[in-house]
Amino acid sequence: MEGDFTVKVVSHPRYVDMAKCIACGACSEKCPKKVPSEYNERLDKRKAIYVRYAQAVPLKYGIDKDNCIFFAKGKCKACEKHCPTGAVNYEDQEVRRDIKVGSIIASAGFKPFDPSIYLQYSYSKFANVVTALEFERILAASGPWMGHMVRPSDEKEPKKIAWLQCVGSREVNACDHPYCSAVCCMYAIKEAALAKEHAHDGLDAAIFYMDMRTFGKDFEKYYEKAKGKGVRFVRSRIHTITEVADKSLQIEYVTENGVAMTEEFDMVVLSHGLEIAKETVELAQRLGIDLMPSNFVKSGSFTPVASSRPGVYVCGALAGPKDIPLSVVEASAAACAAAGKLSGARGTLVSEPEIPKALDVKGDAPRVGVFVCSCGINIAGVVDVKAVVEYAKTLPNVAYVENNLFTCSQDTQDKMAQVIKDQGLNRIVVAACTPRTHEPLFQETLQSAGLNKYLFDMANIRNQDSWVHTGEPEQATEKAKDLVRMAVAKASLLQPLNEVQLSVMPAAMVIGGGISGMNAALELARQGFTTHLVERDAELGGNARLLRITAKGEEVAPYLKELTERVKSESNIVLHLSTAIKNVDGFVGNFKTTLAGPGGEEVVEHGAAVIAIGAAERRPTEYLYGEDSRVKTHLELDSGLMSGAIDPKKTNSVVFVQCVGSREPERPYCSKVCCTHSVESALHFKEHNPDCQVTVLYRDMRTFGERELLYKEARSKGVLFVRYGVDHKPRVAKAGDGLTVTVRDHILDRDLLIDADLVVLASAIVSHKDESLAQMFKVPLDEDGWFLEAHQKLRPVDFATDGVFMAGLAHYPKPIEEAVAQAQAAVSRAVTVLSRKEMWLPGTVAFIDQKKCVGCGVCWTVCPYQAIAADDKGLAVVNEALCKGCGTCVASCRSGAPNLRGFTTQDVMAQIEAML
Amino acid sequence: MSEQAAFQPRIAAFLCNWCSYGAADLAGVSRLQYPPNIHVIRIPCTGRMSPKFILQAFRKGVDGVWVSG
Amino acid sequence: MFARRRFAVLKNLMEYAGIEPGRLQFSWISSAEAQKFQQTVVSVTEAVKALGPAKHMIKDIRKVA
Ligand SMILES: Cc1cc2nc3c(=O)[nH]c(=O)nc-3n(C[C@H](O)[C@H](O)[C@H](O)COP(=O)(O)OP(=O)(O)OC[C@H]3O[C@@H](n4cnc5c(N)ncnc54)[C@H](O)[C@@H]3O)c2cc1C
Ligand code: SF4
Ligand code: SF4
Repeated sequence: MEGDFTVKVVSHPRYVDMAKCIACGACSEKCPKKVPSEYNERLDKRKAIYVRYAQAVPLKYGIDKDNCIFFAKGKCKACEKHCPTGAVNYEDQEVRRDIKVGSIIASAGFKPFDPSIYLQYSYSKFANVVTALEFERILAASGPWMGHMVRPSDEKEPKKIAWLQCVGSREVNACDHPYCSAVCCMYAIKEAALAKEHAHDGLDAAIFYMDMRTFGKDFEKYYEKAKGKGVRFVRSRIHTITEVADKSLQIEYVTENGVAMTEEFDMVVLSHGLEIAKETVELAQRLGIDLMPSNFVKSGSFTPVASSRPGVYVCGALAGPKDIPLSVVEASAAACAAAGKLSGARGTLVSEPEIPKALDVKGDAPRVGVFVCSCGINIAGVVDVKAVVEYAKTLPNVAYVENNLFTCSQDTQDKMAQVIKDQGLNRIVVAACTPRTHEPLFQETLQSAGLNKYLFDMANIRNQDSWVHTGEPEQATEKAKDLVRMAVAKASLLQPLNEVQLSVMPAAMVIGGGISGMNAALELARQGFTTHLVERDAELGGNARLLRITAKGEEVAPYLKELTERVKSESNIVLHLSTAIKNVDGFVGNFKTTLAGPGGEEVVEHGAAVIAIGAAERRPTEYLYGEDSRVKTHLELDSGLMSGAIDPKKTNSVVFVQCVGSREPERPYCSKVCCTHSVESALHFKEHNPDCQVTVLYRDMRTFGERELLYKEARSKGVLFVRYGVDHKPRVAKAGDGLTVTVRDHILDRDLLIDADLVVLASAIVSHKDESLAQMFKVPLDEDGWFLEAHQKLRPVDFATDGVFMAGLAHYPKPIEEAVAQAQAAVSRAVTVLSRKEMWLPGTVAFIDQKKCVGCGVCWTVCPYQAIAADDKGLAVVNEALCKGCGTCVASCRSGAPNLRGFTTQDVMAQIEAML
Repeated sequence: MSEQAAFQPRIAAFLCNWCSYGAADLAGVSRLQYPPNIHVIRIPCTGRMSPKFILQAFRKGVDGVWVSG
Repeated sequence: MFARRRFAVLKNLMEYAGIEPGRLQFSWISSAEAQKFQQTVVSVTEAVKALGPAKHMIKDIRKVA
């Protein structure tokens, strides 16, 4: 039950001891058994002992028992023989464990639709018909043809490729997947654009589609750019493909104005959709959570990451088709929801290592210790390690050198700590693999030996030497010596660095009291943090006050009422209504924000902030809006329906016009929610008045994901959908007492006249473009005024500025469930700051020599993190809490005043000097 | 062997820790082979790259400088 | 991007200092692009090889920097 689950976990044997495996790959090289590689979609081969892909974490090998010769025939053992660390263990057993947990998060994801198992998609068996995932692998540098774009039948570069959309999506006859997979339009455009770049002498790329669903942030721009690059977009669903003599493919289709066409392509890519695997359905059953008819996990609009079973949460494509950014948002949201009830137990299973106080080495002559790693045979097999050791002994400042079989092993680390103490070493160089993976480990050893962790450098003689110059051992050895010499030169100059310690104010501020802001505030409060909720209106609720229903059919008003009450009665929330942000001082952990409210000004201290200021419906200027009261926007329609001012029973004809002000040159984005909003409203009219004539004039119907089912239902209930082109916009005119809407019918190529007593405009959602708020928090806006995240995919609710997060419409138009998920995600991220009593910032930050500074201001204009400002003398000072150590200021200053700790000009110069 | 082929240039490679340095590590993991002429200096970001480094490298006698972000 | 713009300036500066443009190379490689890294090393090495050993004495550095 919630708060107290016992989970039975089975760990299957991998026949390789993870603690011993150093991922040298010797086993895989010698393994005689070749198996089609799952990673490369079976387009090439891997071995029976393998890692799934080069970036796997942890990078450890494993034996695929079903394909291993030893397990089948009882002999071979090639891998065991060649493993330098004795990591192979054929006796490895399955391990069963019971794990006690408070919450469970299901994130088992999707499986790409396999067209080959359906009769209707028999063409997928042709050699040059590939799935989109196969095509991804073909384009990838680590793919079967090393990134050369070739077609499978003859490995020649294709000159013409077609992408077929909605394969296994929006289709009930062939595969029973009525939903839209939501990601394939976008990935098809990406693949087509990339393929054009890969092509050596031109590529004709054509995408065959029904609706182009580029509804995400920056997607529409990407789509327009692809058109500009010459990717062809053909609105037609393809049902038959025939293979011709040279294994090229012939496609038959009908153009929009009804002309039948036949076209030949060298290759066809199937944009296959997402589905839930059978095993995942079984897992859901074991978890006891409800599924939708489509097998995606059922969740609510207001609780997007909660499953039907309390304590079990869900995120990612398992909860409905979605792309990476939203999956990552939901992952953080699920973490927030799962942790919420458990916040009392936070940190109780964590133990902190004890770190001795660092010795003072300032002023001492450098005594460098060099540890040269053999890495089994990984380095020693190519580089003459002994020669490197002898050479290192001759270098200036070097006091001690040794060679280790595996420098990173625990016993060597213990020994290293002892050597540092015994030999009185004060600078350490490890010549081994890469600092990107191993620097933290060695730095810990330095710390445990009482040395400041910044008195350390690495020479990368494996990844960037022995592994890439395998055939040239002599040159590799010389290079290893050079790299060691460079590292010693740098290390000799290194100085101990202090990590700045900051105390963290365990309080949060949420700006904006809409659905996003209220959810964020409630979650923060529930996790035990005092939260200031700042709303500029006199009332909470934002846009949701005017919304009738969600795509899942849940009414918004009752939920909003309950949410508002919870916010008002939550003791950890301090509500600031009719209040504006006047000023923000400070930085992560220590913001001091000045609020101006009805009672005057007030300064609030907080450790983190969530920006949830939302957006607004644009006031249209077209289609008689404002001139005729029967022309309304979505929010006006919703209010009218809720108040009864608009009565479907008394409406004979209603026309919805889509994309009013969206997807236009001045607003080149899709507002994402309006297609679904129109469809659910259309259904509402049909439900209350089946005789009502309901027409939707659209450019592309973007009912993504499971919203597609509403679109399907609307069509079956007689809602008429008429497509219009941007260059043939509909016209609305007064005609007697009524209104007439004229639209160009593409298929018939003539004007269609519709009488209407209500015209609803799907008007764009526009940002508040709140530049002053953005500046106060030192965070960026994009061209359209949406807040710009640190990374679209990896850090979707973070800013590059620490301690500030975002949620909801302020980021981009989105439906309620996504706004709530983002609010929870922002809380999850904010709690990583707030739950710490103090935080340590890296010591590798910039500093200014004020004696050299002339106050010209170049550094504070170039600093991408706005970490430099002028002090009262007009000279530059670095705010170490904001500095990310990029060094741009150092490179830009003409007076040489700034420098970067750990990468000082002298450090780099020393390396250059030592290079030759 | 012609003089051209015998000449082994020395190239100073300034690689950004987050991008190209990572690619170099991955090239190793993937055992992609390349000529040993480059000597890598890791920098935190290409923003750190100052003309002084390039000039100093040439002055010290390298035959080429490669900066990669 | 700021850095890119600056590199164009840098190239000019180097020419002024008497360094042939081919000796100074810039590229952008993401941490996942091992293949591109390898290809770039090869092409950079070849470009510099083709120019032969750097023999130009650089003009007074301090004046340029
Ligand atoms: C026209 C339209 C139609 C929509 N249709 C649907 C739909 O059919 N289905 C669906 O699921 N979703 C729909 N949505 C989206 C839905 O309204 C949002 O996802 C949801 O309401 C979450 O909004 P929010 O809290 O992020 O922003 P908002 O609702 O905009 O709330 C932001 C709050 O912040 C306040 N604020 C702004 N600036 C400041 C400041 N500087 N300081 C303090 N406070 C500030 C505002 O007053 C407001 O109260 C629609 C939205 C619009 C505009
Ligand atoms: S409409 Fe939906 S299912 Fe069809 S290709 Fe586009 S995203 Fe995929
Ligand atoms: S109506 Fe709205 S959601 Fe539909 S395509 Fe246009 S802007 Fe996008």
